Amino acid sequence: MKTAVKLGLIVLSVLVPVYTQSSKDTLVLLDNLVIKDTHSRFFKNLQDSGYKLSFKMSDEAGLSLKKYGVWQYQHLIIFAPGTDEFGGDLSPETIAEFVDNGGNVLVSGSPGAGDAVRDLAAEFGLELDDPGSYVIDHINFSPTIDSGKHTSVIADPKNLIDAKPIVGTKISAPLLYEGSSLLLDPNNPLVLGILRASSSAYSYNPNKPVTDYPHTVGRNTVLIAGLQARNNARIVFTGSLEYFSDKLFTAPVQHKGKTVDKSGNEDLSKSIVQWVFKEQGVLRLSNVSHYKAGEKNPPSAYTITEDVVYSVVIEELVNGVWKGYTGTDIQLEFVRIDPFVRTYLKKVDGTGKYEAKFKIPDVYGVFQFKVEYQRKGYTFLNSATQVSVRPLQHTQYERFIPSAYPYYASAFSMMFGVAIFSCVFLHFRDKTKSE
Amino acid sequence: MSTSTSLGVVQKFLSEYLNQTPKKLKIVDSYLIYILLTGILQFAYCCLVGTFPFNSFLSGFISTVASFVLAVCLRIQVNPENKLLFSGISPERAFADFIFAHLLLHLVVMNFIG
Repeated sequence: MKTAVKLGLIVLSVLVPVYTQSSKDTLVLLDNLVIKDTHSRFFKNLQDSGYKLSFKMSDEAGLSLKKYGVWQYQHLIIFAPGTDEFGGDLSPETIAEFVDNGGNVLVSGSPGAGDAVRDLAAEFGLELDDPGSYVIDHINFSPTIDSGKHTSVIADPKNLIDAKPIVGTKISAPLLYEGSSLLLDPNNPLVLGILRASSSAYSYNPNKPVTDYPHTVGRNTVLIAGLQARNNARIVFTGSLEYFSDKLFTAPVQHKGKTVDKSGNEDLSKSIVQWVFKEQGVLRLSNVSHYKAGEKNPPSAYTITEDVVYSVVIEELVNGVWKGYTGTDIQLEFVRIDPFVRTYLKKVDGTGKYEAKFKIPDVYGVFQFKVEYQRKGYTFLNSATQVSVRPLQHTQYERFIPSAYPYYASAFSMMFGVAIFSCVFLHFRDKTKSE
Repeated sequence: MSTSTSLGVVQKFLSEYLNQTPKKLKIVDSYLIYILLTGILQFAYCCLVGTFPFNSFLSGFISTVASFVLAVCLRIQVNPENKLLFSGISPERAFADFIFAHLLLHLVVMNFIG
């Protein structure tokens, strides 16, 4: 009996991921096969999470993300910073097309990055710093790993972006970084600086004396950057291939007088991978319904100053299962070109059902119920439902208004007056004539 | 000369009116004054209180104005001195027109008064 239950549970646990998750096919591009060994822990973590990795050299001739119009991979990892040109079909344009169709990308640059990765970064609103420049920090560096030029930089977990879906909650150990910095496009509203260096860091070629102002200084030195496209595809860029290496995953860190056995690199990489490959911070909106207060189905058109109830189900993907989202700041707008009503959606129960009740304004026209939820690290939720609001019918106006009683009285008195007058007028006998 | 001052004109008018107007027309005139008073009262009320149920105000006011106009028409047509002007219309016909127009008027007023 027990074994049967256990067997049943095992079968179910295998089935559930298949039904709730999309494909986990990942293409991994390397420029040197030795990376498979130097980054073995990173790849093992991925494979343990269920990702099917296909390792290929970045300049292989037959590389292609699409075959006969069907996308072969859901995710793309590019650990090939030295590539000058991708092989086969791949190029910054085809990778951008891959992202436009929902694919997620994790790319690592390096100080020696070639044109391919630099162009790819530019495609996503990021820029790798000049060739040969490293992030240098003379105060926060790791003396054990450093080669003497203070390029092995320590980043405090406090410099992580304040977004729980991206970084998780448990990063307390300092992070080690050895590579070039990224510049964020200031005009791009979607790009995020996930990990920044300390205020004492700057980015320059360590072998040359500093003669120009560095491109990135202090907190502008972005070590790991991310972007969530408007179709909710995610990209993460970093300037250091060593960040993901076994060496930095397992290295002890001495920071501010305290020594930690293991850097926070591995934990952060797990969180970032979960975010990029859409396991974390994924929301979905469904079951939009609206109706008059007290009814169940929507009318063909609402009337002005009516009470209306709007409800929606918002769920979050947690460990492969859709659970109700718990958020307190989701807003609903009732818009006719401009929003007339803006109110918070309140959680009704634990299954993610949110509800808002309000009174339709005294304006008629074609309105939209809009839910636009854009928070750092979460997928963008955009929902618009169009309804019409009509003015009062001829019979729905107030009747017998007290302040109009004098007018009613005068109208009736006119009728009464005509009746009396016509009686008198008709029955009048001209007395002088008869005399 | 009492007729040259405005007060003298008014006095002469009033005395001629009271002496020479037939009683039938005086009945119409008193009805007209009644309508006028109701109309003025109504307008004063609207000026004080505001035009909130504007349709009600318009309906009531236009009821008085139209009644006034119809009564004036009746008076003109019934006046024996105007017999030559209205040769095809007997006083009975004038009264029938008056009543018919009033029916229409009150129908419209009731619909518009809300």
